[in-house]
Amino acid sequence: MMWLARALLGLGIWATGFSLVYALHGTGCARGWPEVALAGGVDQHAAALWAGWLATLAAGLILLLRMPRVSAEAGLRHWLPRAGALMGVGATLFTLLPVALATSC
Amino acid sequence: MTDSTAQGLTGTREDAQDEPLTIAANPPQRALGLHRELTKAWANDSGWWGQVTAVNHTTLGLRFMGTALVFFLIGGVLSMLIRAQLATHDGAFLDTELYNQIFTMHGSIMMFLFAIPMLEGLSIYLLPKLLGTRDMAFPRLTALGYWCYLFGGLIMLTALLFGVAPRDGWFMYTPLSSAAHSPGINADVWLLGVTFVEISALAAAVEITVTILRQRAPGMKLTEMPLFAWYILGTSVMMLVGFPPLILASVLLEIERAFGWPFFDVARGGDPLLWQHLFWLFGHPEVYIIFLPAAGVLSTLIPVLCRTQIVGYGAIVASILALVFLSFGLWVHHMFTVGIPHMALAFFSAASLAVAVPTVVQVFAWIGTMWQGRPELKLPMYYILGFFLTFVMGGLTGVMLAVVPFNWQAHDTAFVTAHLHYVLIGGFVFPMLAAAAWWMPQITGRERVRGLGEAAFWVILIGFHGTFFIMHLTGLLGMPRRIDVYTENPEWVWLNLTSSIFGFVMTIGFGLFVLDMALQAFMGQKQRRDPWRAPTLDWAMPLPAPAYTFASIPAPRHLDKEARDVTLPLARGEGLLPGAPRRRREFLVTSLAGARPDHVAILPGNTALPLAVSATIGAFVLLMLAGLYPLTLLPLAGVAALVWLWGRGMVRPVDEAPIPVAPGWQLPEQGLRRRTLGWSGSVCLLVANGTLFASLVFGVGFLAVVAPGWPGPEVQAAGRAALPGVVLAALMPLSGALAVRWAEAGQRRGSAGLVAAGLGLLANAVALGALAWLAAGHMDDPTQHARDALRGVLAGYVALHAFIAAGLGGFALDQTRRGEITPAHGGVLPTWRLWQDYAAVTAPIAAVLAVGLGMST
Repeated sequence: MMWLARALLGLGIWATGFSLVYALHGTGCARGWPEVALAGGVDQHAAALWAGWLATLAAGLILLLRMPRVSAEAGLRHWLPRAGALMGVGATLFTLLPVALATSC
Repeated sequence: MTDSTAQGLTGTREDAQDEPLTIAANPPQRALGLHRELTKAWANDSGWWGQVTAVNHTTLGLRFMGTALVFFLIGGVLSMLIRAQLATHDGAFLDTELYNQIFTMHGSIMMFLFAIPMLEGLSIYLLPKLLGTRDMAFPRLTALGYWCYLFGGLIMLTALLFGVAPRDGWFMYTPLSSAAHSPGINADVWLLGVTFVEISALAAAVEITVTILRQRAPGMKLTEMPLFAWYILGTSVMMLVGFPPLILASVLLEIERAFGWPFFDVARGGDPLLWQHLFWLFGHPEVYIIFLPAAGVLSTLIPVLCRTQIVGYGAIVASILALVFLSFGLWVHHMFTVGIPHMALAFFSAASLAVAVPTVVQVFAWIGTMWQGRPELKLPMYYILGFFLTFVMGGLTGVMLAVVPFNWQAHDTAFVTAHLHYVLIGGFVFPMLAAAAWWMPQITGRERVRGLGEAAFWVILIGFHGTFFIMHLTGLLGMPRRIDVYTENPEWVWLNLTSSIFGFVMTIGFGLFVLDMALQAFMGQKQRRDPWRAPTLDWAMPLPAPAYTFASIPAPRHLDKEARDVTLPLARGEGLLPGAPRRRREFLVTSLAGARPDHVAILPGNTALPLAVSATIGAFVLLMLAGLYPLTLLPLAGVAALVWLWGRGMVRPVDEAPIPVAPGWQLPEQGLRRRTLGWSGSVCLLVANGTLFASLVFGVGFLAVVAPGWPGPEVQAAGRAALPGVVLAALMPLSGALAVRWAEAGQRRGSAGLVAAGLGLLANAVALGALAWLAAGHMDDPTQHARDALRGVLAGYVALHAFIAAGLGGFALDQTRRGEITPAHGGVLPTWRLWQDYAAVTAPIAAVLAVGLGMST
């Protein structure tokens, strides 16, 4: 069970982060967060979204770094958890990239 | 008792995946004697009554697939009616009302009554054979699922015959499907009928998950099991998580239609977009729920037909995991035109593009396998090639639709209709036709009649592409979906006429395919064993498969051999747990990852109880449709009583002597284990339940934050006076959780535990009483605003779980009184603890949300 859980953890972090950022986005647009300026010219909405994205990315990277390095020949049991972590980081980078590129609301 | 026996009795080490598992062979016996002994224990009852009481996976898997095929043919006939109507620009073949009903029923039948039950049937039929076990984990649940599917489907079909079928499209968007715009019972038929059918989907998901994780033949590690099982595991988990949002949405809309609680009514704080979110939270994963089993078929067939091994087993497993997760991040791409902010559009556009990656990995793995091997152009390979051609085109148009600007142009046009048919027919129907050609010898024990199958393939392929390829152009020229006439647009006529003509060609092809199957079943020559020279265990048995599947369970030494090399040793009882010497249905339960033997499961026999339960649920559905709401309490009480009988049917004296499995290996029976299959099934069901609760929390958040018309009118009834009721409802389940722990401690000590069970029952009863008190006068009218409706639903959710926990507590009390709970056997206690803990966690969350909603004014 623990092995399967470890294999799913990376993608689980992506799913949690994706849901969190989407929820922050919806809440921020509804509550007018883009109009609330914070220090340094950053608005509250952008700050929340960046924080959500970076936190997810950090969690994924920490998981990835903690996974033992194994070669592809080591067998699926050994490399699947690391592959899962890698897929999670890749998905977080790509699917939440709009935080950096798109207008928020 | 040997060391291995001691290990078996004390529990296996879960992650002992790398340690070799050596189990000696049982001495060979007379195969015919074993066959007779096993058939007596496993066969269905004789005659028509035997069909009613059957719980065997082979019977029910075939029944699921046969019924799904009938629904496919009915859905196909409906599609021909649609094509006849659209063949000319002002078709008078159908009036608008009937046309709306027919296209709605076509989509609903194909999605809910064909595709999902077909994959369920294939999984139920095949998994035990492929994994080296004798049946699914919960045979009565399999039967219940079948009857719910059949009755739900019949209700929907009957509605069509009487002209009251759903007519709002297969995704039932509100407000079109709300009471104001869709009076009558048409939409109710869909909401109640589809939810009824979904009971079978959830039942299948639970038992498939448990079967794959805990019933693989000893030594069949998770990382080495057949790819088909990985695909189906991914599918079943997606079903557990994907169906609850739709069930919730259907329940909310039915409550709105029946009782006026406004979840989707903008004027009273609801929002139609909540329906779209909940529907597509199910709807997009649904595409992958349908595709993954088909991909599993391809990964099974292609290497054998190419006389080689699959390329990239590990990469495919990783892709399956990625698909399972990523497919839940795409749902909003069905809502790109509803006015969602740019950034949200971009999130889901990116996720929609990303999901193409794991799909493409699989396609390249299959191409690599074909490149590496020597492909043989047998009938299943025709359909595999048809899949490649069709699905890749569907995937490419999917990538086009993932790009927001293009999506805006093509949204709701015939282009989308063409795309979804390329994906679903290419990605599901073609592989299923390949699967039918592949496993028909296994099912019938007969060879097919040569020539007809190939002819059917070409007619289907030409008919399909002739119908749908051109439909892309029809869409790009602007023709919307679901219109019945297009008088002002003569430029669409030749396109539609062409689609209609080829649509009929495709139908002829499917007719030929069915004829080919019928000829094989009734007139084919007797099939020799293992005609495909396959390596998997599903061919390591007599054809057609016997009721017990394996005379002895495959041992680790049988797993790396060709099927034909292990058929005879298994039939002679040289595997594990040979025959049925105790005249009951037994198989092995193994550990999750390493598949090490853990205990022996004992299954219930044939019973009509599943039919009785589903018929009672059917009575509830019919009374709801008739608007006789007070009377629905009767079938609900009936279901509760039958579920109690269901539970009593599982109780039997526990055999404390270990059961011989192989020389030097003895295992305890399930009654002496805490983590039985039933416990695992409850965990799966709670995962689905948790998803439903999370969807409800999402709904609360969505309406409270996004919906117009908030905050609602001032809260009247709920003030400080209601607080005691809220606190009791929130915390009493927690008291129940403490009581169940006390009961468990008593069980281990051997003391009676009557008081603990009684206190647990009482705690849940108090929670129910508190909720009744709140409902009687301390909650605002749920019809006035979505806020109050949501609070009502949250209270209902807590009440339902307090009722379930009370039932389990009562069952434990009864078992304690009867002396069925002993220090070695915990009876219902582990299951009660799971459900009680779930209630203890969700009740306070629901209470906080309900109080928070009240403060939102």
